[in-house]
Formats: sequence, structure tokens, C-alpha cells
Amino acid sequence: MDQAAVLDHQFRVAAYLVTWTIQLGYVLWLTIKWRAQKREAVRLGIDRSLKSR
Amino acid sequence: MKKIAVGFYVAVTAVLLFWGYYQAIYVAPNDALQGEIFRIIYYHVPSFAVAFVFFAVSLIGSLGYLAFRSGNPDRALIADALALAGAEVGVVFCTVGLTTGPLWARRAWGIWWTWDARLTTTLVLWLIYVSYLLMRRFSAGPQMRTLAAVLGIFGALDVPIVYMANRWWRTQHPAPVFGGAEGSGMDASMVGALMWNMLAWFAWGVLILGIRFVVERHQQRIAAAEAQAALEAR
Repeated sequence: MDQAAVLDHQFRVAAYLVTWTIQLGYVLWLTIKWRAQKREAVRLGIDRSLKSR
Repeated sequence: MKKIAVGFYVAVTAVLLFWGYYQAIYVAPNDALQGEIFRIIYYHVPSFAVAFVFFAVSLIGSLGYLAFRSGNPDRALIADALALAGAEVGVVFCTVGLTTGPLWARRAWGIWWTWDARLTTTLVLWLIYVSYLLMRRFSAGPQMRTLAAVLGIFGALDVPIVYMANRWWRTQHPAPVFGGAEGSGMDASMVGALMWNMLAWFAWGVLILGIRFVVERHQQRIAAAEAQAALEAR
């Protein structure tokens, strides 16, 4: 493989990794937010009303 | 039943994403001129396509909020949650597009960025929706949702400008692959990989949009319960 092809490969891998990192990072943030909401709902005594909807 | 349906949808989305990756890496050939770097298009183009669809969802939510806010507060809150979810997930996909694009450009053009019409209008679009999210995050009160809806509508106006930028003006960004001038298009051996990834990322986007919508609806109920508790404590 020549130098240009190696660089192309590395940039392609970087682009795919960046895509997955951003997407999964966002899902992780949503999960953390969801869990915090559950704790808050229990504190307020409305956890059943959240589940039922 | 609902859990089974969601589980099935998640499984189908995971298979589609895997299949899309397989198509992009192992089925589609290298581009004759660009080599492997061309394969970035299979993630780059679907990301922007999905972002545009979700900004349209945000527009519908914003219009719905303004339409319902006086007569039907419950519906207005649903529309507002949809507007927020559309904008936020749209920003996520737009961010992917704005980072994968420069990675391709560095190899194809020798530069990371240029201030041509397509790239600049896309960056402006991203900035408008980031400011929309920041405004929602750091402001409160009854006017916040109304102001956000108006900003969301203005943000959506930039989407057709971004889409048409490389048709209206001469840009460094490549000419449209689909729906462009005569002779534009993609080799048949590559179209399948692009379409599978389009479908896969759209399915993924709908999934996280749905989750974000539910999280925001929960947030609205928690805020209402907190307000009620504060009133009762007085």
C-alpha cells in the first residue's frame, strides 16, 4: 500500500470513529439525563405517572 | 407489547447499521479518482439528510407550539417537546456532517475548510440551532418557549439555502450528486451502499428522536409537579 492509500485509510477510519463517538456520546448523555429524571420523579412521588404514560 | 415493539425496532436498526457499514466497506468499490477516502460519503451524506429532516420536524413542532399555545396548552407542550427533540437530534447529525466533511476535504482538497457558500451556510445553520439549544438551556419563564419557536422557524429557513447553495453559487464543495446537472449521479455499484446507510441512519435518528421526545415530556411533567409542590408548600 502506498503512502497516500494509508493516509486515505486513516482518514476514513477517523471519520467513521468520529461519527460513532458523537452518536454514542449523545445516547450516553440521554441515558444519564433519563436516570436523573427517574430519581427526581421518585423524590417528587410522580414516578408511577411517568411510567403509565 | 410496547417493550417488544421497541426492542424489535432497536434490533432492526442495529442490523441496518451493521449492514450499511458492511455495504460501505466491503461491497462498494473504491472510487476511481479518490480511492478509499470517498467512502466517507456513506456516513457524511446520510448525516446531513437526516439532520435536514429533523430540522423540518423541529419546524413543525415550533409552528405547532405557536398555533396551540393559547387554546390548547397540552398540545402546545407536546409540540414544544417535538421541536426541541428535532432540533437537538438535528444538531447531533449536523455535527457529524461538519466533522466528517473536513476529514474528507483534507485529503481531497488539501485543506480542512473553505468559506464557500455550501460550507458557510451549513455552519450558520449549525450555529443557529446550537444557539436555539443554549437559549432553551439558560433561559426560563413563560416567553422562553415562544422565543425558541420563533428562532426554530428562522433556523429552518436556512435549510433550503444550504441545500441549494451548490446549485445557486459556484462552490468548492462538489456539485450535487443527485438531482444535479446533466451527467451528475453515482455509479450503480455505489448507490446501494449510500441508500442502505441513508435508511440505517434515518432509523437510528428516529430512535434517538423518540427517546429525546420522551425525556422532554418527562421533564415537563417533573417541572409541573415541582410547581405544584411549591404552590402547596405556600
